[in-house]
Amino acid sequence: MVEVPDRARPYLRRAYSVADADPVAGNVEFLIKTIGAGTGALEKLPETAAVRLLGPLGNSFGLSGFAKGDRVAIVAGGIGAAPFPMLLKALRQAGVPCDFYLGGRNTRDLSIRTRFEGLVRGETILASDDGSLGEKGFVTEALRRRLEAGAKYARVYACGPMPMFASLAKVVAAHGVSAEFSTEAEMGCGFGVCLGCVIPGTEKPFVVSCTEGPILSPEKIRW
Amino acid sequence: MTSLSVRLGPLELANPITTASGTFGYGLEFTDFVDLSKIGGLCTKGLSLNPHAGNAPPRICETPAGMLNAIGLQNVGVRAFLEEKLPKLRSLGATVIANVWGDLEEDYVTVVRALEGADGLAAVELNISCPNVERGGMLFGNSPEATRSLVGRVRAATRRPLIVKLSPNAPDLVESARAAREAGADILSLVNTFVGMVIDPETAKPRTSFGTGGLSGPAIRPLAVRMVYQVHRAMPDVPLMGIGGIAGLSDVLEFLAAGATAIQVGTANFKDPGVSDRLVDELAAYCEAKKTTVAALIGRAHRVGKTGGDAGAEG
Repeated sequence: MVEVPDRARPYLRRAYSVADADPVAGNVEFLIKTIGAGTGALEKLPETAAVRLLGPLGNSFGLSGFAKGDRVAIVAGGIGAAPFPMLLKALRQAGVPCDFYLGGRNTRDLSIRTRFEGLVRGETILASDDGSLGEKGFVTEALRRRLEAGAKYARVYACGPMPMFASLAKVVAAHGVSAEFSTEAEMGCGFGVCLGCVIPGTEKPFVVSCTEGPILSPEKIRW
Repeated sequence: MTSLSVRLGPLELANPITTASGTFGYGLEFTDFVDLSKIGGLCTKGLSLNPHAGNAPPRICETPAGMLNAIGLQNVGVRAFLEEKLPKLRSLGATVIANVWGDLEEDYVTVVRALEGADGLAAVELNISCPNVERGGMLFGNSPEATRSLVGRVRAATRRPLIVKLSPNAPDLVESARAAREAGADILSLVNTFVGMVIDPETAKPRTSFGTGGLSGPAIRPLAVRMVYQVHRAMPDVPLMGIGGIAGLSDVLEFLAAGATAIQVGTANFKDPGVSDRLVDELAAYCEAKKTTVAALIGRAHRVGKTGGDAGAEG
């Protein structure tokens, strides 16, 4: 009796933000953390395996409306850093300086920082829950301390787990900073059909994350 | 090319491949993947009288070979459907089946009346089998008496072909099917999702906010095939649309063999949005290669005996 590797699970596609893309070389990069059945199966793929891909889907970060001298911040929680290599490159091209706040539970969560070496045209601020690397505590607190000390940001871009977004929404609201959150929700289809990935909204009961987002301003989310 | 057209009572479809309500939006979301004029038809998201917000997240959860959903019938409402969606579907040449639900009998009747004057609707499908709402939905499908009463009232309100979508959670599916038929259903579609539950082993909390959800995908296919077989055996003259984990040609052949005249592709639309379009080609190629017709494929399992048949088998 030979066991055939399980192909019944995962059943659905997986939603990942594009970390970076090189249209000339024809490369698309994803930063993926192995967590469950889907990421586990992807990790086991041989290097040259072909995968089917549906995309690009949803909206993207806004890059307009900046004035000369504006500075922005990126706030990322762990693997929430995934969408930011390309944004950092775009900000550099637009001539907008950016501080990069990266948080995690421990040093291991912050290992993704190596991907950002040479990309950040500003300060890199690390924070860990256990204090093993960078400032001790949540990354949102690291941002709050700097805002209270007088740091000025024209916009905060963020990606991370929902609890991080909930505290970050309060921090940016208190300092009147506009923000764009790259939200996470369990997605069934990615193109607005299954309606599985909704997030409670303020302007309407639910926002469909995959088509109306995933990037949403915190004012649109009912916390 | 051989014609793939099928007749389900008063409803004629260009081919037996249609898409299931709740998995195909309003059809317009699929124009990048599917030629809407090519598939046999599409069933819209369940329409209610007023727009409906649906359940709080989390609404879906992946399961082995499928998924659990508790969307809660979020939809734009029948008026927005008629004004914004249907004209576009008409211009794209789609064969549109409007899926309808409500809390009360009166709600179903009002929605069906609102649809009655509209151009470009091929049929109405009654959802009496949604497991994810507190009222209405499955409550009409789980009692033959409630089914009979509701279908009778809707029948009186429409001249369109009337499809009733049955619940696999009904205590006696054949009895429910009979009640729907006797009350005036032209066609029966089966099955909707099975009530299921997934509990997070760490937190012990259900993975959907509704607590339970409807299970769909290839995981339910053998259950659905058995139910189509059973209802066809009991009521061979009633046209059936088979639903349950259809993702490839062999699944289509299996449901046709069980007694379905047409099929609805459901959850597979999420992971493989072009699947319904492709199935039309694959079915045509199959009929061509085997020198057969769709009509000859329908109900074949009832004619070949209990272990016969070469179609629908998977390696």
